[in-house]
Amino acid sequence: MQRPHRRAHTAIWTGLAVALPLAVAVIFASAPKLPADAPAVRLDTGSAQGEQP
Amino acid sequence: MSVSYKPVIWNRTKMIYDGVLLAGIVVYILLFLKLAPVLSPALQDTDLPTQRMRAFGSLALLMLTIVLSIGPLARIDTRFLPLLYNRRHFGVMTAIVAATHAYYVLGWYFSFSPKSQLTALFASNTSLTSIAGFPFELFGVFALVILAVLAVTSHDFWLSFLTPPLWKAIHMGVYFAYAAVILHVALGALLDRRDLALGFLALGGLTLLCVLHLVAGRRETASDDAASGKIPEEPWIVIGNLSEIAEGRAIIGAAPGGERIAVFRSKGGLSAVSNVCSHQNGPIGEGKVVLGFITCPWHGYQYSLEDGCSPPPFRERIRKYRVQLQGSAVLVDPEPLPLGTKLAPIPIPAEFLPPAVKKEGMA
Repeated sequence: MQRPHRRAHTAIWTGLAVALPLAVAVIFASAPKLPADAPAVRLDTGSAQGEQP
Repeated sequence: MSVSYKPVIWNRTKMIYDGVLLAGIVVYILLFLKLAPVLSPALQDTDLPTQRMRAFGSLALLMLTIVLSIGPLARIDTRFLPLLYNRRHFGVMTAIVAATHAYYVLGWYFSFSPKSQLTALFASNTSLTSIAGFPFELFGVFALVILAVLAVTSHDFWLSFLTPPLWKAIHMGVYFAYAAVILHVALGALLDRRDLALGFLALGGLTLLCVLHLVAGRRETASDDAASGKIPEEPWIVIGNLSEIAEGRAIIGAAPGGERIAVFRSKGGLSAVSNVCSHQNGPIGEGKVVLGFITCPWHGYQYSLEDGCSPPPFRERIRKYRVQLQGSAVLVDPEPLPLGTKLAPIPIPAEFLPPAVKKEGMA
């Protein structure tokens, strides 16, 4: 590899090593959470697929 | 090489490489379809089309992770070099697997849309201002477009047409494709169903790749910074000691600007050449002399010790440098000679030759 290529390579991976874990953390942190008073039986759980709750 | 372009110049090694790759793909898909619903709670009670799209999607992520780890692994340990030899086929296969995943997704989710499947894909989620609700499909499309462009331009014709530096710069787009895939998986599958196995594959793979690339990069930077010392009153640089060079091998030094120079020892002579292979800029000094030709460790491109030219009918060339010995110190003039300049290897004095070579030389 030529030197500019090696330098670009290192810069890109340093950026990815910082940015990607941060981005994933932000994504999970901003995921909607159930409110404390949410009903126990919900349509978006397995019990909605024909099983008895 | 450079004489004529064929779709693939097959040889036994490539056939074995591709055979193993294809077998691995088939085994993964079959295992995923049969075993994953048993092992992973996230995949229980899912229908076959959904399992199929998840099988190809997770395989594309796994293959992309492997293909991106081959480069740094080969830099860190030369035992991984065989994986590098046909890495382009690995990359093309990854693009095909990713495209298969996209094909199944479009067919399953958008078949009955009144709009075209692609229009429906882009119009189905417009929560562009939300973080967790952001349309993760866009990252998948972005990654797939990059992988497709790289697969199409992976052939040696494009490498030669675009020149290796530009071609390599374009192909560094694969890193951005990988970043998009991680966001695609995190916003889509991971957020939706908290799949532990997929989470491990995505986040474990990300950690592994970052560590490998940063370790390999650190080693390269250290080599660049440790530029070979200049000798007093002359531009020549000291590459190393003659005793460090094994027969048929090279030692590598760095010119003041950082570009590397390899000094090969072969049949009682020393030759200095650029460490950058003209094919894909491979580290030619880590190769060896085979049948009298310097041979690049990446793809086997060969160059003459005398003039740095590939043997006819091939046309690749690398630069040569003047080399001299001061005692046992190997000195190189960092100013490269014009391409194609003939410069015979300098003879190694008899006192530095092993006994067997001395006898051979006298006979």
